[in-house]
Amino acid sequence: MAQLHLNFAAFILGVPIFAVIIEIIGWRTRDQKYDWLSHELVKLTFAAFSTTALLGALLLFLFIGYYPKFWTYMTSIFFPTYWVYALLFFAETFTVYLWYYGWDWLQGPRKWIHVSLGVLSNVFGTAILFVANSWVTFMMSPAGIDESGALTGGVWAAITNFTWMPINIHRLIANVVFGGTIAAAYAAFRFLGAKTDEERARYDWMGYIGNFIALSAFIVLPFAGYWLGREIYAFNQTMGITMMGGFMSWLWIIQAILIGVLFIGSNYYLWLGMERIPGSERYRKYVPPMLIVLAIGFMVWATPRSMVVTLDEARAMGGTHHPLLGFLGVMSAKNTAVNLMILTTFLSFVLYRRANKIPLKPWSNTGMLVQWAVFALASIIVVFYGVYGYFVESLVRIGFSVYQVVAVLAAIAIVMAIDIPMFKGARTTGAIRWGTIAPRSQYVLIILAVTFTWLMGLMGFARSGIRQHWHVYGVLRDTSVDAVTPALGYAANVITVVTIVFFALVMFIFWLGGLAEKGKEGQAHGHGHAAPVIAGGSDESGGRA
Amino acid sequence: MRIPVGLKVAAVSVGVMLAYSGYANYIPQIESKPPQELSLEGGNVTPAQLVKAGEEIYKTKGTCEVCHKIGEKGTRAPDLAGVGSRAARAKPGQSAKQYLIDALIKPNDFIVEGYPPIMPAVDKPPIALNRSELWALTAFLQSLGGTVDVALADIPATAGAPAGGGTATAAAVTVPGDPKAGKAVYTGKGACGACHKANDIPGTPVGPDLSQIAKIQTPDYIMKKIIDPKGMGTVAGFPPGVMPQTFGQSLTSKEYLDLVAFLLTLK
Repeated sequence: MAQLHLNFAAFILGVPIFAVIIEIIGWRTRDQKYDWLSHELVKLTFAAFSTTALLGALLLFLFIGYYPKFWTYMTSIFFPTYWVYALLFFAETFTVYLWYYGWDWLQGPRKWIHVSLGVLSNVFGTAILFVANSWVTFMMSPAGIDESGALTGGVWAAITNFTWMPINIHRLIANVVFGGTIAAAYAAFRFLGAKTDEERARYDWMGYIGNFIALSAFIVLPFAGYWLGREIYAFNQTMGITMMGGFMSWLWIIQAILIGVLFIGSNYYLWLGMERIPGSERYRKYVPPMLIVLAIGFMVWATPRSMVVTLDEARAMGGTHHPLLGFLGVMSAKNTAVNLMILTTFLSFVLYRRANKIPLKPWSNTGMLVQWAVFALASIIVVFYGVYGYFVESLVRIGFSVYQVVAVLAAIAIVMAIDIPMFKGARTTGAIRWGTIAPRSQYVLIILAVTFTWLMGLMGFARSGIRQHWHVYGVLRDTSVDAVTPALGYAANVITVVTIVFFALVMFIFWLGGLAEKGKEGQAHGHGHAAPVIAGGSDESGGRA
Repeated sequence: MRIPVGLKVAAVSVGVMLAYSGYANYIPQIESKPPQELSLEGGNVTPAQLVKAGEEIYKTKGTCEVCHKIGEKGTRAPDLAGVGSRAARAKPGQSAKQYLIDALIKPNDFIVEGYPPIMPAVDKPPIALNRSELWALTAFLQSLGGTVDVALADIPATAGAPAGGGTATAAAVTVPGDPKAGKAVYTGKGACGACHKANDIPGTPVGPDLSQIAKIQTPDYIMKKIIDPKGMGTVAGFPPGVMPQTFGQSLTSKEYLDLVAFLLTLK
């Protein structure tokens, strides 16, 4: 129930962030199709609002019914925040209503007011997230209390516990990714069922935008996760060790597989997308080496430290660590793999971005050379610290991952700082033939959304599971008969059921949105949110794959 | 026949999720169960039983194995092979058992060179070993190359977690009984003193000493143990099947709640 509520909460918090970014782009570029897309997304969010609130209320009732002492204890600490939460909820609801219903009213010179409403509703939404996170993180890493569990440092001390801010940032970024993948999956679904080239072009473009924003946020998500991991260790070594090396150690192998699917899927979508861009042929030669790096990175990241083996096999190997592959199962190898995968994904994006552009700046050759040098240098730093990590103590090794992360982030910043001015006013080799992308690319978008939602469930299990038999870690023990933390198989089955229920409800909401649209057929143009015609949608020369 | 798009999308989505679930079911399945409370106070426990109980705590509730290995150098914590004899030489003027007890409840007072100060005090939450468990664990560590001579009295009276392991849990539990009336049930109708001692109330040592029962056991355990002693198991070192199974029928509801309320005062 908590995970289902959280999926919906992420949906109604993530999609508006995505929507307001799109609206701002449309406002600044005066491109109406962005405004249409933003309006479409807010409409979907609107329908999901009440479902989220109902699930939240049901979750609260279950807490009170099944765990009354736990709820009493949490209330003794956090009661003042309940008021803040409720007030913020009112504020967000009214602002989103105004944002949605004022779309036509606040156009033209008043558009900035409308955009501000969008930003404000996201500020309220994010504040709600932060308040709820204070309860959840207090359960993981309680602070501001004495040995008897009584509040001593004031409620602010309980709120600002070790994991509060890392989870705030991690969830905020993850919500943007989630919003993007859901929007892209919605577009993919509409693309596959489209009857005309115009429709296909529109939803191809929408899917691209959704995936682009999701991918941009996704690239930095592992760094936020790393910060959260560090804070968990800083709060309590036992908890950190239980999380990474205890009964949860195999969870990270599943996580690696899911993130590997997300990386490879995102890249594959970009490569397929390049086929509808005239001039992209120049960059096709880079695809095989990038695929090799991603595949090797995926395999390394998904290599377990201890293998699933029979007793005889373990005896033959001299333990459960494979004599060769065991070396790839440690963090030095995994950090190196994930950083190289991030760099490769960024390279895919850079190539996609310039696929139909030829820079005209006189310094473009030097600029490109510097960009490649930055990529090479970042890769060397990542590999160097990955290898060096095998020869130092664990405490030193942990610090190396910071250098790897900084190298990758710096490379992204420098390459983009050169790329943006270099391609300003560039010559185009032809317009993107929207709608002509291969239909299999749309299944990739759907797989990305499903995988990311499933991953959210898995991480939810990790976050709550590391408390084991504690409601509030080390303070309030779960003495019920259900205090067992289930094994991964059981947890995975529950995650699958929750994800199916979530998507079934979302599909129902989308269908409801579609009903309203059908009812307005013929009036759409008068409403001011007519679906835009995307350039290339009727381009017969492109043909469909 | 043309398959509807919705069906194809649903099939792909469910297929992907089933693949993830299938893999998660294929890998090792490890549950994390809440640790059981161990009570040895007042019991006639042999050193061998004590070491066995300590080894169990080492592997389960104590979570020692997460960092420590026996006969293998760990990266987080020292190898414990031979620690029973090594402990006697670790700090001048301190016996092996004293060093080991200190290492468990005040781990950061003395750090073995080359290792980070990451060990938590095991008598504090979240590990929260009680005095009996500290006693058994110390005995097990002594058995690794040394002589087991630790007694319950060596474990400081202030060490050990309260019932339930979480302090807020204990504070939250209230039983609507009258402890005074419960004491009368204990000495009268219940005839508990026939087998148990409880502070100033004398008793024959057929069963465990209950003088600190509220500190070493959860209220839930105490309540269930009165009604279904067989189902709750027998405390190590005591004969099984002695405690009557009939209190659920012989005591009235009020007497039962009063008795529980009295036992919860024994800390």
